[in-house]
Amino acid sequence: MSGEEEENAAELKIGDEFLKAKCLMNCEVSLILEHKYEQLRQMSEDPLNQVSQVFEKSLQYVKRFSRYKNPDAVRQVREILSRYHLTEFELCVLGNLCPETVEEAIAMVPSMKTKGRGLDEEAIEKMLNDLSLIKTFE
Amino acid sequence: MFLNVQLPWNVIIPAENLDAKGLMLQRSIIIRLLDEFASKKATKELGYYFALTTLDSIGEGKVRQHTGDILFPVVFHGITFNLFRGEIIEGVVHKVLKHGVFLRCGPMEHIYLSSTKMPDYRYVPGENPVFLNEKLSKIGKDVVVRVIVLATMWLEVEREFRALVSLEGDFLGPVSSF
Repeated sequence: MSGEEEENAAELKIGDEFLKAKCLMNCEVSLILEHKYEQLRQMSEDPLNQVSQVFEKSLQYVKRFSRYKNPDAVRQVREILSRYHLTEFELCVLGNLCPETVEEAIAMVPSMKTKGRGLDEEAIEKMLNDLSLIKTFE
Repeated sequence: MFLNVQLPWNVIIPAENLDAKGLMLQRSIIIRLLDEFASKKATKELGYYFALTTLDSIGEGKVRQHTGDILFPVVFHGITFNLFRGEIIEGVVHKVLKHGVFLRCGPMEHIYLSSTKMPDYRYVPGENPVFLNEKLSKIGKDVVVRVIVLATMWLEVEREFRALVSLEGDFLGPVSSF
């Protein structure tokens, strides 16, 4: 088990290329696959549809763990979370786990509590409230 | 965590598959790329190669000297999956053993939650073995558990990752909303 630069997602130490990459929430992956992959798969001439076991299981996982199903709701979740100066990584952890209280949110994404982030408990509370509204109307 | 990455790739089309019509060529390239992407499975740097989403560009083909194949440099977007130390994830239990359980998360199946990292839970043997705590909270097959990633390991030969996770932390444990 190695961690060359002591990787730690709780402190957002996850390597520059990942910090800058676009992260996807499970619900976003689910939607993308519903549209794009079917298109690309149909282009393959293989009648047996050699989609691997691993892919199928992953697809099942992503569908089951999508907290939001409606494409508009998914878009709104990203939009709301984007207003709070979070990194892509933090945004997706919150969108995937849907914490209900401020304490839970901070436990899920401890890096939010780092000094100088400008994310006090009030801001986090507001963020969670906005998210729960989407769920109500989904 | 799923990531959307842009990657360069070299697709090699055998000379006999080349067609005069441009559309057939693009189709050949996509199919080839899909196959190679699927068979790649995972790399140490980027994690699991999960799905190809868009083909962004196809560069000019270059003839390879000795084989007569054409090499097309392409750029595409794909979804990859990686687990990070310290990340909190939700996994599904798919195997229960005396000393711990195995979880599945995304494409990863070898995520191990040791009994030593399940404080207050004890093993209950039987036809459907489970881990049980005093409050009768159960960790067994098909239960969803929220855990923190302690460490990950890349296995070169199998081209797979393994991960060690733990329940030690606030708000971790079995999740009932699934």
